[in-house]
Amino acid sequence: MEEYLKEEYLKVENLTKTFRLSRKQRKTEGGLIVKTAVDDLSFTAYKGEIFGLLGPNGAGKTTTLRILATLIKPDNGDAFIGGSSAVHDEYAVRSKIGFLTSDLKLEDFFTPDYLFDYFSELYSVPAETAAKRKAEMFSRFGIDKFASVKVANLSTGMRQKVSLVISLVNDPDFIIFDEPTNGLDVLTAKTVTDFILELKARGKTVILSTHIFSLIEKLCDRVGIIIDGRLAALDTLENITAGKSLEERFFDIYSQFKGGEAL
Amino acid sequence: MRTVLTIIKKEFYRFFKDERLWLTAIVLPGVLIFAVYSLMGGIIDSVQQQEEDYFPTAIVVNMPTSLSPAFSQAFKLSDGDVDGGKQLVKERKIDALIVFPERFDELIAQYSPASGQPAPNVEIYYDSSEEHSQIAFYKAESMLSAFEDAASNMFDVNRPAAEAVYDFADSQSSSRMILSMIVPMILLMLLFSGCMAVAPESIAGEKERGTIATLLVTPVKRGYVAVGKIAALSVMALLSGLSSCIGMMLALPRLAGSGSGLTISMLTVGDYAALLGVVLSTVLVLIALIAIISAYAKSVKEASGLVVPVMLITMLCGVFSMFVTGVANIGLFFIPIFNSALIISSIISGTMTGGALAVAICANIAFSAALVFVLARMFKSERIMFNR
Ligand SMILES: Nc1ncnc2c1ncn2[C@@H]1O[C@H](COP(=O)(O)OP(=O)(O)O)[C@@H](O)[C@H]1O
Ligand SMILES: [Mg+2]
Repeated sequence: MEEYLKEEYLKVENLTKTFRLSRKQRKTEGGLIVKTAVDDLSFTAYKGEIFGLLGPNGAGKTTTLRILATLIKPDNGDAFIGGSSAVHDEYAVRSKIGFLTSDLKLEDFFTPDYLFDYFSELYSVPAETAAKRKAEMFSRFGIDKFASVKVANLSTGMRQKVSLVISLVNDPDFIIFDEPTNGLDVLTAKTVTDFILELKARGKTVILSTHIFSLIEKLCDRVGIIIDGRLAALDTLENITAGKSLEERFFDIYSQFKGGEAL
Repeated sequence: MRTVLTIIKKEFYRFFKDERLWLTAIVLPGVLIFAVYSLMGGIIDSVQQQEEDYFPTAIVVNMPTSLSPAFSQAFKLSDGDVDGGKQLVKERKIDALIVFPERFDELIAQYSPASGQPAPNVEIYYDSSEEHSQIAFYKAESMLSAFEDAASNMFDVNRPAAEAVYDFADSQSSSRMILSMIVPMILLMLLFSGCMAVAPESIAGEKERGTIATLLVTPVKRGYVAVGKIAALSVMALLSGLSSCIGMMLALPRLAGSGSGLTISMLTVGDYAALLGVVLSTVLVLIALIAIISAYAKSVKEASGLVVPVMLITMLCGVFSMFVTGVANIGLFFIPIFNSALIISSIISGTMTGGALAVAICANIAFSAALVFVLARMFKSERIMFNR
């Protein structure tokens, strides 16, 4: 019955991404010249759900999310976000997504106030809408008291909140979080996870990547387990865990996927 | 289009709200150049003054009556013979020993070049490694040459007289000639350092700090980012160059001495407009070149290293423009930067033509536009923007 209500929002089709390694990188990768970071990856996320990409470090999560955010192009395959191709229609994709990752930094010199206005203009958000949104978000995250403090002088937690708010200036329908709680203190981490649930409640579609089992358990409706750039499992959280803990199931799947080799 | 303005506004805000930035990029170059050039001028002046004021000591052997008044006015004379005098010069106790032949006045009155005999010889002993001795030598030598001219005067060349004008060039022409050779080089280097003060920081710096990626996930066209950055940076670099120029112009009269006729009013308003036009187009080219290098570099430090060849080429353009004399082949004005050097040179020497100016400015603008296109392509390239 529920299946009928599901509307596909993100459709990832046969994504493949390789990197030519530099001389220096070759040494750490054991002489490999071309590294396949994402290997023929396909999955779908439905509108209004939180989709989790779970995998160990180096599995290809960040690479996948960067392709979705149109920062890099896949060698093969495509991803459709709300019907727009991340390969061919990158401007349309950019205007309907928000991307939060520690790789995207804010300039130290500016204040949250200035940055919000600046990015609102870059997203062509009408001035009144932007002003209203700013007041709302700044008070929601307690940024208002620090609105005219330079980013350089903000605490790490506050800076993270500002980054979150800035990545959402365009009120996107689709939000990408790469390791959303990495490096955050427990309080800020809770603020972020609460907000992700709030986004879902508002009908937004969210994809997040993490290597933390509890984060998936707490937030996600469906989860894709990604190992060595390939999809090892994909299902709803209940179906994947099947009564066990996610951690236990993950290691089962991992050793199975790696050809039965023990951890 | 609106987003281009947004980007320009943000670059300006970043620059002008940070006094550390605009002080070092705009105020400092002008002040520094003015201070250094003024200081150099001051030192040269005071050295010259010292030379003029110095009253050298000398021993004159066999002083002829005809020269005695002039020599006692120019030198502090003391008594002595040839050998003692030489010793004193060696010991640096006196500045010079001047030895006339005996009965010098009679000898020169009787001497005729037609006789084939060697002319009477005056000996000046001095020590060229000692500054005061050197001054004494020049003083004695020039007095004796003047005396020789007067003694055997057969004809004059350009005899000084109140109403006589022999050189039809106006008084500034010669200083303009010299300036037209050195100013292009100096100006290009000043503009270059102005560009270096702003461009790597704004592009390689943003890349290094990971803030440009934040801009690149927004739906802003890469071309707009390139245009916005280049436009904003050009204005800043122009201000920096302008500051250097003002510093140089203000210090120039002091450097060249007040007699040289070097003033800011040497050029007409039209000349200054042409200068501004060519400087602006040059700044565009330089900023675009440095921006591309900065976009390629992984850090500000790497960018400053990679930019050295461009700096050398710019310098060489200034140097080579000195060797282009007369009316240059119009083809040369199509070469970016080099054309700027030629135009600046011709504005100062007063030989600029409107056609050459138009070709140069258009060539520079076209070249910059091509570079902006390249920069936009680079902003699109994940290999360049997101390499590890
Ligand atoms: N720009 C790059 N150049 C070379 N190798 C890369 C690049 N980006 C990622 N990789 C490699 O691709 C693999 C997947 O990386 P990533 O997507 O960051 O994994 P994850 O986010 O799951 O930890 C890693 O082995 C990483 O070293
Ligand atoms: Mg990652």
